[in-house]
Amino acid sequence: MKKKGLVSTCIILAVALALAVITGISFSKKRNFQEDIVIGSNVTGDFMLDEYNENLKGTVGDVKVYVLKGEEEGGKVLILGGTHANEPAGHMAAILMLEQFQVSKGTVYIIPNICQSGLTHNDPLEGTPQYLHFTTKNGDVRTFHFGSRASNPIDQWPDPDTYLHTSGDWTSDKIKEGVQTTQTLSGSEVRNQNRCYPGIKDGTVTERVSYAVTSMINELKIDMVIDLHESSPEYAVNNAIVAHQDALGLASDTKLELDGIDISIRLEPSPAKLRGLTHRELGDYTDAYALLCDVGNPSQGRFRGYTDEALAITGDDACYRAAYAINGGTLLYVDYSAGNFPLALRVARHVATCAQLILSMNFEIDDAAREVIVDNFEDADMIEEFYNDLVEADDIGLWLN
Amino acid sequence: MTPYMITFFVMVGVFMIGCFALKWPVGVSMMAAAVIGGLEGMLVHGTTFSQTITDLVRMMVEGEFGYIDTILTIACAMIFMKVIEDSGALDALSSLLIEKFHKVPAVLLILIMFIIMFPGMITGSSTAAVLSAGSIMAPVLMLLGLDNVTAGSVIAMGGILGMIAPPVNTAALVICAGIDVPYVGFTGPLLLLTLPLAILFVLMLGLPKIKNLDYEKLKPALEKQDATRKEYGFKIYIPFLVLVVLMIFFKVIAAKIGVTDLGMPVIFLISAAVGLFTGRKINPLKAVPAAIRTATPVMAILMGVGMFIELMTATGVRGFIVVTCLQIPSALWILACCISIPLFGAVSSFGACSVLGVPFAYIYGTYLGGNVVVCLAAISLIAAVGDMMPPTALAGLFAAQVTGVKQYTKILKKCIIPIIILLIWAGFILVKSKTFAWSVFG
Repeated sequence: MKKKGLVSTCIILAVALALAVITGISFSKKRNFQEDIVIGSNVTGDFMLDEYNENLKGTVGDVKVYVLKGEEEGGKVLILGGTHANEPAGHMAAILMLEQFQVSKGTVYIIPNICQSGLTHNDPLEGTPQYLHFTTKNGDVRTFHFGSRASNPIDQWPDPDTYLHTSGDWTSDKIKEGVQTTQTLSGSEVRNQNRCYPGIKDGTVTERVSYAVTSMINELKIDMVIDLHESSPEYAVNNAIVAHQDALGLASDTKLELDGIDISIRLEPSPAKLRGLTHRELGDYTDAYALLCDVGNPSQGRFRGYTDEALAITGDDACYRAAYAINGGTLLYVDYSAGNFPLALRVARHVATCAQLILSMNFEIDDAAREVIVDNFEDADMIEEFYNDLVEADDIGLWLN
Repeated sequence: MTPYMITFFVMVGVFMIGCFALKWPVGVSMMAAAVIGGLEGMLVHGTTFSQTITDLVRMMVEGEFGYIDTILTIACAMIFMKVIEDSGALDALSSLLIEKFHKVPAVLLILIMFIIMFPGMITGSSTAAVLSAGSIMAPVLMLLGLDNVTAGSVIAMGGILGMIAPPVNTAALVICAGIDVPYVGFTGPLLLLTLPLAILFVLMLGLPKIKNLDYEKLKPALEKQDATRKEYGFKIYIPFLVLVVLMIFFKVIAAKIGVTDLGMPVIFLISAAVGLFTGRKINPLKAVPAAIRTATPVMAILMGVGMFIELMTATGVRGFIVVTCLQIPSALWILACCISIPLFGAVSSFGACSVLGVPFAYIYGTYLGGNVVVCLAAISLIAAVGDMMPPTALAGLFAAQVTGVKQYTKILKKCIIPIIILLIWAGFILVKSKTFAWSVFG
């Protein structure tokens, strides 16, 4: 009897070990996978984020900042992608702009993987795919991460029971006396890049990254920062621009222009009491216009059905179709009447919104010396043409190098 | 939606067969349900066999990690409990409390309830409450004359009310994170939801058993406890003091002065280490394995739960359950909320907050225009009931363990009326959240 028990114990341990090895290889591969960002002649340079926080050196958070500088001096715009790595439209739109934007005046800085740590793993209990694949027009297959909403626990663990967000050593004359700048959040939010702004210089990896971004905006005197996101279709802030109060003017101008080319978008003011987010903290602690763009993503919602790479790309989901049929579709905050909400459409919305925000910024600042001009998105007609082409083709691979 | 329904029945069916027909441990049955359901769901959706196996194995391990922090807390809490039990600290504290408060049994009961709730209030975990204060109060309650099932019921209900009471309510924090609501203003609604119930439940369950308490008759039964107390004096209580001081410091003060939280596992281990030197002699090489052996079934359940939720989500069963709940007429959503969230808690109460709590928070807080803070607080209380639902039933199982009740279902039966009262109270406040908007503060 004892011998039988020993044999079964050995078999169970051997199976457990085999599973650990197989999954260990899979996790290690994802942890070390480098996305192939194909740089064209439009990218004039790059630097590492540790230039703005030396405490990032040698960490996973030390990511590359791509510089698209025009021949003519002008204003400066920063675009952040991959803040939440389970929101692929934000990540892919930043990569697409990095490979497509032809800047002739001013500078566009793009960080497509601002939360690199989040890209290196998946959220436990969420059952999401690890990678997305796209075929370019040359027939090459390019692979990108589908990651987690939060940084990898391997980079900062354990989470506290509750996370007390603070603004660290930053001070701002834009914040009225008595306004609370701390915020108690769920413990896991300590790994949420978009709850850690303005950042802490020697804090967690996530806080250090946020600190570097805030410093970079201040030191480079960046005029506008746009953070690209996605949200569950049942989430009220959807297909929207969330704007710091200082950026509401240019955001409302953008909304009107986008409405004019049939891209319906909501405008939401940044809540003053919700701390740690880009549209709040970067607006309060820098002079940049701080904006966040959201678009509906069925592959991250709680109503979703079978979850795989196809869902992330097509947004076609039986459970969301069923949810849209309840109470005349009012439970969802995206138009799901087509029965899907594809990645190509979501990326097209983000790119069009960013391009229009740049046009609106030029109009708002009204200073030729601080203009940013992207030649291939120079006016509303070009934006509309790009948007319609991408939505019709329904394949972002065709816009990747 | 039919394929999702089939996968749902496959998962539930395999779990039931494993649990009841094959008599497998609950954790193993959950793992089997996750594996078979995952295979069926992925293959039916046209995923290739090799991809199915790759994803399945990855998701099983990934899912396990969903509860790794909770598992560590449970393991360390069990070590603490074993040490204070073996050192005689539990005996001494029981003797002290009864001697000081036997003349006012109702007050004593309410005091005991608040002591049970306290660790839950500052950690947001019913497990921490039951295994720390619950285990300390169990002998006191039984010496006062409560049978072990009633004592277990008081501890279990104290644990779930403690995890919801302010300042830290992890269930509400999970929902807050899901709908981007700051955790501000919850103190009032959470006190309103939990305090009246705590007083009601402890008196309802305990007072009939102890209102004619005769201390003189009780004295012979306290002989051993009194002797331990006299032998070791004040120093035997030091592990409790260390635990309370560390908890208050790291959970309430530390973050405000920029000190890193040590975390509950380390706090339990430090308190247990202190306990090695304050009472009867303990051999840690025997006590620690014994404690871990006791905690293993629950830790296995949590690992199985992680796999189960991950595969349920990947195969679309999670979405199917949520949408099915919302497909019933909107007038009945409150019933769906009060039934489905606790039932899902059978898998995991925090899982229920994320899977169903967040959609219902959207519905009541945004879609129906309620007061979002009050709604979230009420939903978190409903979700806490999940910690009483078998097979996971963390609060119930540990309450049974600390009171020596072999069949946990006896505690569940005893708690049914309090649970119904709790759900009616929470459901009422959820539906009338605007009326209770005055309570939002803190």
